[in-house]
Amino acid sequence: MTDITLEVNGTEKSLAVEPRRLLADVLRHEFGLSGVHIGCAHGACGCCTVHIDGVPKLSCLTFAVQCEGKAIATVESVGGPNAEHALQQAFKSEHGLQCGYCTPGFVMALIPFVEAMTSQRRMPEDDEIREAMSGNICRCTGYHGIVAAVRKAIGDQIAGGSNRS
Amino acid sequence: MRPASFEYHKAVDIEDAVRLLAEFGEEGRPIAGGQSLVPMMNLRLARPGHLVDINALPMTDIEFDDRTMRIGALVRHEEYGRDPRIGKHFPALLDAVHWIGHPTIRRHGSIGGSLSHADPTAELPAAAILYDASMVVRSLGGERRIAAVDFFESAYVTTLEPGELLVAVEFPIPPRSSAGSFMEIGERVGDFAIASVGAHLEFEQATITRAALVCCGADLVAIRAPEIEAFLVGKTLDAPQAVEVGRRFAAMVDPSGDHIASADYKRALIGELTRRAVEAACARAIESK
Repeated sequence: MTDITLEVNGTEKSLAVEPRRLLADVLRHEFGLSGVHIGCAHGACGCCTVHIDGVPKLSCLTFAVQCEGKAIATVESVGGPNAEHALQQAFKSEHGLQCGYCTPGFVMALIPFVEAMTSQRRMPEDDEIREAMSGNICRCTGYHGIVAAVRKAIGDQIAGGSNRS
Repeated sequence: MRPASFEYHKAVDIEDAVRLLAEFGEEGRPIAGGQSLVPMMNLRLARPGHLVDINALPMTDIEFDDRTMRIGALVRHEEYGRDPRIGKHFPALLDAVHWIGHPTIRRHGSIGGSLSHADPTAELPAAAILYDASMVVRSLGGERRIAAVDFFESAYVTTLEPGELLVAVEFPIPPRSSAGSFMEIGERVGDFAIASVGAHLEFEQATITRAALVCCGADLVAIRAPEIEAFLVGKTLDAPQAVEVGRRFAAMVDPSGDHIASADYKRALIGELTRRAVEAACARAIESK
């Protein structure tokens, strides 16, 4: 067992973990963050995407021991209990989800992209959006609704100038 | 599935890393981005007893001198893929980077990790072989360089010995009058390639003076085609006989069929990708003049 301290969604916690434990499992079981979904557990589906020091990473390809001293953010940190982030709201209004299993991964993978486009005040081409989400698999929507949600989130934020995160 | 048990060690510098790797021998594996190694561990295709985390090591620079581009083993795909000097000198490498995984994978995966992993369908080993790159390898015994063509032995097998660490890869800078291209086909963007072909052409005026071709998908390692490269020399950029070049490459290779594509399909694909890569390299050459 290895002692580590992680800052997860703003709260620090020290715990002892086996080196072989995946960050995804530690977040789910030791931190109770069930929004971290595990689809394939080998880096193919994107469901388990979290932010480590602000950068999206697959938590199934990351060992918790590697995250000593790092700040981790999961979907639970986004938009409050009512999921009020512009991207979450756009997923809802544009039918960007059905079963919802992949949604936390999409949201965490796409937030930096949406923020970058918003700060550049630029509406990306659909190809760029599809490239940005190409590491995430959705078996329900056929992706059109997700592309529409990204466009709406960027459009709304450029128009409104606020990021309700 | 989940990985088997291992001990975790965080190396503080290169000396520390090679000392740890020497101590653990066959049981030790370095981990950088983990984008290839951890899937293998999760599927228990890899069961190293010791992981040596090398992410803190100073191997993160891209350096140019007159003759060589040296990329530190820890430089992430996203970073060198954004470097304008890569596109200028090594267009086929830049093309290849875009075919590596997905944005999240490119952000964390490293050039040294991908080369050491030596997936038979991976883009970087092919690009390294295309451009005659050298692997810079460190161990307790010192440093040695291994030519890319000698580095890749088989699928997932390199000539790295236990206790050795890839610290950088050096690409000789081609002459100014050169162009290249890299073409790939997979089932979906980010999937493993069914086949890919890279082309590098050097030229004077409108005549090809040197050519290099590389192909993934035909064998357990990326292969060059010296006879067909020689055939390209003397051809002109506006009529490189790309269809014939593709036909010859397809006739030369002996791919194995798998659950995705038959051997015949792969052979035809390699011919077509060769044609496209040569034509795209020629178009870029003409554009650059």
